[in-house]
Amino acid sequence: MNRRLKKSIRIFYRFRILYLMLLPCIVWFIIFNYVPMVGLIVAFKEFKYNMGILRSPWVGLYYFKEFFNYYNTPHLILNTFFVGFLKIVLFFPLPVIFALMLNEVGIRLFKKFAQTISYLPYFLSWVVVSAFVFRVLAPNDGLLNQIIGKLGGNSEIFYMMEKKYFYQIMFLSYLWKNLGWSSIIYLAAISGINPELYEAAEVDGANNFWKVIHVTIPGIRSTIGIIFILSLGDILKTGFEQNFLFRTPGNMDAADILDTYVIRTGLMRGQFGYATAIGMLQGIVGLIFIIIANKLARMYTEVSLW
Amino acid sequence: MNSFKLSITEKLVRITIYFIISIFIATIILPFIHIIALSLNEGIDTSKGGIALWPRVFTLKNYEEVFKDPYLLNSFKISILRVIIGTPLSVFLTAMAAFALKSKILPGRKFFTLIILFTMLFSGGIIPYYILLKSLKLLNNFLVYIIPFFYSGWNTLLMRTFFSSIPKSLEDSAMIDGANYFKIFLSIYLPLSKPIISVIALFNGVTQWNDWFSGTFFVSQKSLHPLQTVLRAMLMSAEAMRKKMFITGFAALFGGRATVTSESLKMATIMIATIPIVCIYPFVQKYFVKGIMIGSIKE
Repeated sequence: MNRRLKKSIRIFYRFRILYLMLLPCIVWFIIFNYVPMVGLIVAFKEFKYNMGILRSPWVGLYYFKEFFNYYNTPHLILNTFFVGFLKIVLFFPLPVIFALMLNEVGIRLFKKFAQTISYLPYFLSWVVVSAFVFRVLAPNDGLLNQIIGKLGGNSEIFYMMEKKYFYQIMFLSYLWKNLGWSSIIYLAAISGINPELYEAAEVDGANNFWKVIHVTIPGIRSTIGIIFILSLGDILKTGFEQNFLFRTPGNMDAADILDTYVIRTGLMRGQFGYATAIGMLQGIVGLIFIIIANKLARMYTEVSLW
Repeated sequence: MNSFKLSITEKLVRITIYFIISIFIATIILPFIHIIALSLNEGIDTSKGGIALWPRVFTLKNYEEVFKDPYLLNSFKISILRVIIGTPLSVFLTAMAAFALKSKILPGRKFFTLIILFTMLFSGGIIPYYILLKSLKLLNNFLVYIIPFFYSGWNTLLMRTFFSSIPKSLEDSAMIDGANYFKIFLSIYLPLSKPIISVIALFNGVTQWNDWFSGTFFVSQKSLHPLQTVLRAMLMSAEAMRKKMFITGFAALFGGRATVTSESLKMATIMIATIPIVCIYPFVQKYFVKGIMIGSIKE
């Protein structure tokens, strides 16, 4: 026993500088990520500021029941899944296609320009993007309505105030912001493919189209798999910022999702226990999705996260 | 070689590809020009409508007004301070941790990596986080913009993977010469890691600059609000402002007073919130491939 202890002390001493360099990181992750996980017990308590988390009274599953009895809950869950579906399933193949298209561009200057411009919106905040969207879609003098007006159409539609346009606007602006940046990882994967494979395909008489099908796509399959698994975990927590900022009195019904509801009830109205319960359900469902996706990926492809 | 001769279908496909990419690029550039034109146009003239891609009555007054408004000016300072203080700290701390985690011989390395990795899959959610910030006395405190932004799981692992691509022989020979780990980190690893440091600095700087959430929900003191928080507040009251704009617009028309409307002020603020990013980003772009690729694919 004593010898083992001595040995660990010796090891620790040998790596003391590395441990010291790592220490702030681990402490930070414990405080800012694991302490809030422990804080999830607020979901089972009636949180009182003056008592703190530990001394607040237990209420069991009260808040979970309250959430499932709330008349609007099915609607919120449906909206959330739908937004998740748009941003993950529908969006997912588009950056792959965009990367394949960019890869076919022969003019180097054009390719470079297209990359520079298309990555840029990713770095703008959702506040700025929402400002752009509100401005471009404004009634009468917004850019879109000006064009429609010039073409002789109805230029008075206030798109952001109409529920029926919300999901289209949401999806297109999400695409606008993320398409270029999301394609970068596939472009990198494509550039990592062994050029001999293309030559071999050429010898076999493959044209460009068959090269893409038989060399490029198989070459980036594992990248596609990993990105898909990672993004599935976000199915219930995508786009809080976007939905929160795009919400107007007119489109509220479509824009409201679990995330915005948690912010409203929790941060704005102070119903801490209730909002924590909802957040916890979101987190657990997200984790389950990741586990399932990982299992499926391991079954059907060679990739998995663990 | 027959690959030089493209078939007609392949030519058509190619033209379609160029066309689609060009359209996408146009949807990014045109709105930018639209907002720039509006921000450079006299406010009252703008409210008459019809400004598309070029200002009709050119003026810099909107920008001048932004910098005259004490609340806006102060928020601009707060945003700059966040980036200047927070980003170098974050990059340095992340690099240190990543350096330790990349050493394959470090006992416990797998466990520490797992601690970081799990935070990318599950979180306690916003309310427990809020309670935490409150008990750490970070609410209404400038440090709420700094400390919670020190690390991100993704950045740490990205940097770690980059570091492990640096040949270990360099480290070993320095070891023989009697250098300790920290010295090796400073004199070998950091100088060789310009691509990843630039990329992580950009990620963190952009996150800092773009963060409106902390300011909105964790800070009620107006003198501590960053630019994005103020911009969001301006946008939220868009409807109220729209009405006001017409009133002040008409008042100005007949009274011959101020020519700046809340709408034109908003456009200038949007540009000020955007320009720093547009200026810095091209310098880092060349490192994207080196920095991110090595990091993300091999994990």
